[in-house]
Amino acid sequence: MDNFQKKFIEEATDLINSLEESLLQLDKTPENQELVETIFRALHSLKGSGAMFGFEAISKLTHNLETIYDFVRNKKVKITKLLLDTTLSAVDYLKLLLNKENFENQEIQKGYLALENKISKLIEDIRLNLSKTELQTTEINNTVSTYYISFRPFLHIFNNGVNPLYLVDELHTLGTCKVFSNTSKLPSLGDYEPVNCYTFWNIFLVTDKPVIDIQDVFLFVEDESDVEITKISSSNLLINNDFLKYINIFDSQVSVSVEQIIDYVDSLKFNKPKSTDRAFDEKIKLFSKENTITSVRVDAEKLDILMNLVSELVTTQARLNLVASKHQVHELTLIAENISFLTRQLRDNSFSMSLVPVDSVLIRFHRLVRDLSKEFNKEINFVSEGSETELDKNIIQSLTEPLMHILRNSIDHGIESREKRRDLGKPDHGTILFKTFYSGTHVIIEINDDGAGIDPEKIRKRAIEKKIITSENKLTEKELINLIFQPGLSTAQKITGVSGRGVGMDVVKRRISDIRGEVEVNSKLNTGTSIRIKLPLTLSIIDGLLVKINKTNFVIPLSVIDKIYPVEHHKLAGSFNNILVLNGEQVPYYYLRDEFNISSDVPDTEHVVVVRYENKRIGLAVDVVVGEYQAVLKPLGKYYTKQEMIAGATILGDGTVALVVDTNKIINKFSQTKFTNQ
Amino acid sequence: MKDSKKINSYLSFILGDELFAAHVNNVLNILELTKITEVPQSPEYMRGVINLRGTVLPIVDLRVKFGMSATDATINTVILVLEVNIAGEKVQIGILADEVKEVFEATEDMMQAPPHIGSKYKSEFIVSMIKMDEEFIMLLDMNMVFSIDEVKQMAGSGTQTRVDEETQLVGNL
Repeated sequence: MDNFQKKFIEEATDLINSLEESLLQLDKTPENQELVETIFRALHSLKGSGAMFGFEAISKLTHNLETIYDFVRNKKVKITKLLLDTTLSAVDYLKLLLNKENFENQEIQKGYLALENKISKLIEDIRLNLSKTELQTTEINNTVSTYYISFRPFLHIFNNGVNPLYLVDELHTLGTCKVFSNTSKLPSLGDYEPVNCYTFWNIFLVTDKPVIDIQDVFLFVEDESDVEITKISSSNLLINNDFLKYINIFDSQVSVSVEQIIDYVDSLKFNKPKSTDRAFDEKIKLFSKENTITSVRVDAEKLDILMNLVSELVTTQARLNLVASKHQVHELTLIAENISFLTRQLRDNSFSMSLVPVDSVLIRFHRLVRDLSKEFNKEINFVSEGSETELDKNIIQSLTEPLMHILRNSIDHGIESREKRRDLGKPDHGTILFKTFYSGTHVIIEINDDGAGIDPEKIRKRAIEKKIITSENKLTEKELINLIFQPGLSTAQKITGVSGRGVGMDVVKRRISDIRGEVEVNSKLNTGTSIRIKLPLTLSIIDGLLVKINKTNFVIPLSVIDKIYPVEHHKLAGSFNNILVLNGEQVPYYYLRDEFNISSDVPDTEHVVVVRYENKRIGLAVDVVVGEYQAVLKPLGKYYTKQEMIAGATILGDGTVALVVDTNKIINKFSQTKFTNQ
Repeated sequence: MKDSKKINSYLSFILGDELFAAHVNNVLNILELTKITEVPQSPEYMRGVINLRGTVLPIVDLRVKFGMSATDATINTVILVLEVNIAGEKVQIGILADEVKEVFEATEDMMQAPPHIGSKYKSEFIVSMIKMDEEFIMLLDMNMVFSIDEVKQMAGSGTQTRVDEETQLVGNL
C-alpha cells in the first residue's frame, strides 16, 4: 500500500501543479473555457484518487471545489478574483495535505477548516444566486436526445478496483436507460478467470443533459475500456414501440454496429425529416485506444546512472576504435564503426533526456509574483519568453532559489508603488519580463523589470559605509551597480520580510558560479533593471581542445579559445616579461610547463593557445595541440580542493585521464599576480 | 568500524619493508597498476588520478604519506580501491601498495595496542598491531588515514612550490 501511496503522491503533485498553472493562466484569461475544463478534470481526478488512497481531507476539499467549477463550466458562475484566490490557497493546502504528518498539525487544521468554511460559503452564495435563474434555464434545456453507448471494459478492469456496474448505475441518474449486457465473450467454465471482466454493455440513454455529462461518467475508466457514445436521435426513442422492438435483438447477444442502429433509426418514419442527411449524427468517439502513454516518470537517480553508463560506453567505444584500427581486421572495423554510430546516437538521446524546459519552474515564479504583488499592493505583469528553452535538470534545480530571490528583489525594490509610477508617467502595471534563449553553447536568462532601477550613488555611499570600497576608489557606474553582488550590501532602507537583509545577491552570485554560470546586472535609474545570467547548456559535457604537455593530456574549453600559434621554444624561454608579440599584438602568456611543474624534454616548437575572458587575452603555452575533443566532465574529488587551475577531469578514448583546465581561474590569478608584480 | 566486530577479515599488504593491513570492509577492489595521470600542483603523496570504469579515482601514495620514499612501479605493485568515510560521506580512493599478501582472520586476542613511543608512523593511523607467525602487522584505520584534516595538514607541510603558497594565501582571505 505504501508503494501505491507514493505513486498517488507523485501523480497528485503533477495534478496540483497543473491545477496551479491553469489557475494562474485563468487569472489572465478568465473567459478561457478550456482552462476551466482542465481545472475541473484535475479536481475530479484528485477527488477520486484521494478518496481511494485514504487522503480524505484532499478528497473533501476537492469535492467542494469541483462543485464550484462545475457551475463555472456550465457558465452559471463567472470567475472572480475571490474565487481564484480561494482556489489558490486551497492548492497550497492540497500540497500540505499530501504529507500525512501535516494532518496532525494544529495550525494547518485550523487553516484548513477556515478554508473549508470559506468554500462552503462560496457554494451557498452561488446556489442562492442560481435558484433565481435556475427555473428559466431548465426550461430552455428541455429538449431530450437519445444516445447509444457502447461500453466495453478491458479484461483487467477489476485490477484497478473499478466496478463497471456502478458506472451503469450512474447513467441511470442522468435519465431513462435501457441496458443490455452482452455476455457472449464469456468463456467456458474451465477457462474462466474470476479476476477478469468478460461482460460488456450496450446502453440506450434518453437524457436532457449535455453529452459531456455522459463522458464524465466514464472519466475514470478511459484508459481501461473502449467507450463509444453516439447520439442517434434528438428525440426520445425509448417511447417508440418499433424502436423498442428493434433493440430487443441485443438480448440475443448479437453484436450490432452503430451504423446499423443509425440506419434503423433513419428508416423509422417518425424520425425522417432531419436525420436522413446524417449531418447531425455527431458521432463522438470519446476515449479511443490512441490515448496511450506519451511520457514516463523516471527516478532522477536512475537517469544519473544512465548518464554515467553512457559516458563509460562512449569511452569504451573510443577504445574499441583504437584497437580496431590497430589490427585492421575488416570485420572488426565494420563492427567498431557500427558501434560508434550507435553510441553517438545513444549518447545524444540520453543527454537530451536530462534536459528539462525552463517551463517546469515558471509556475512557481508566476505564483510568487502573484502573491507578492498582492502583498505589496503593486500591479505586476509577469511575462515569460522562450520558456521552451531546455536546460540540464541539475542546473535548473540549483537555479530556482537564486531566481526566486532576484524576482523578490524586483518586486520589492524594483517596481514602484502605483502612485509613484503615475508621477513618473509610467503605466500603473509594472512589468517583469523573464526571457530565456540560446546563445551558442550557452543559455541566457534575463530578468528585466521596468521599475526604479539601481541608484549607483546610493550604492557608493552604502559601500563606503560598509567599508567595501573607500571614497578614493573610482568605479564606473557599471562597476558600482555590480557591487550588489558583494556580501553585506543591501540598499533597502527598510527591511521587509522578503528582502533587504543584506544576504542575497552575493549568495545568488555564488550559487550561479557553482554551476559555471555568470551573472551581471544592468540598470538605469527610473527606467528599470536587467539581470542577465549566462549558463552552460549542460554541466556534464564541454567542447574542448585536447592539448599535451609532456605526457599529460589537458583539455581547454573551446568556447574561450581565440587563436592558436606555433612558437619556437627559444622565444618562450628567452622572454623575461612573459609577453609575446603575436600578429602585431602584445599577448601576455602563461608557461604552463613551469606553472604545473612539469620538467622533461621540451619540444623545439611549442604552441600558444590564446584564450580570452571578459576583455583580457592571455596565451597558454603547451607542447602539442592534439585536436578537438568532446569531454565528459568528471569531478576530481574531495582530495583535490587546491587545484584551482583544474576544473575537473575527463576520460579519453584510450582510457587515460585528461585534466580540464579552468581558464577563467587561470586568467584571474594571472592578472592578480603577474601584473601586480611588474 | 562497528562492523569489524562481525567480520574479522583483513587484507594485508606491503609498503616498503613493512606489513600493513586494512579491514576488508574498506577494500572494494584490487587493480593492476595502470597509467596514472599526474595532477599539477598537488601534494607529493597525491600521485594523480586514474580511470576506474568511467569515474575518476584519486591515487594516494601511502609510502610518501608515511614518510618513506615514493613507490616505484614493479610487477607486484597494485592499486587498492578503498571506500572510506570522510565527514560522514563515503568516498572512493585508491592507494598504491608494493604487494598484496593475503586476506586473513584475526581475533581480539591477536591484537596488541600500538606503541606510543618510538613509532615511525603517526599512531593515530594505527588501530592495533596484529601478531601473526612472529610477524607484526600494522592494522590501519583507513578512515583516519584519509580524514580531511589530515590531508590538509599534509598539504601545508612545505613540500609545495611558490604557486601553492599563493593559493593558500588566497584561500585564507
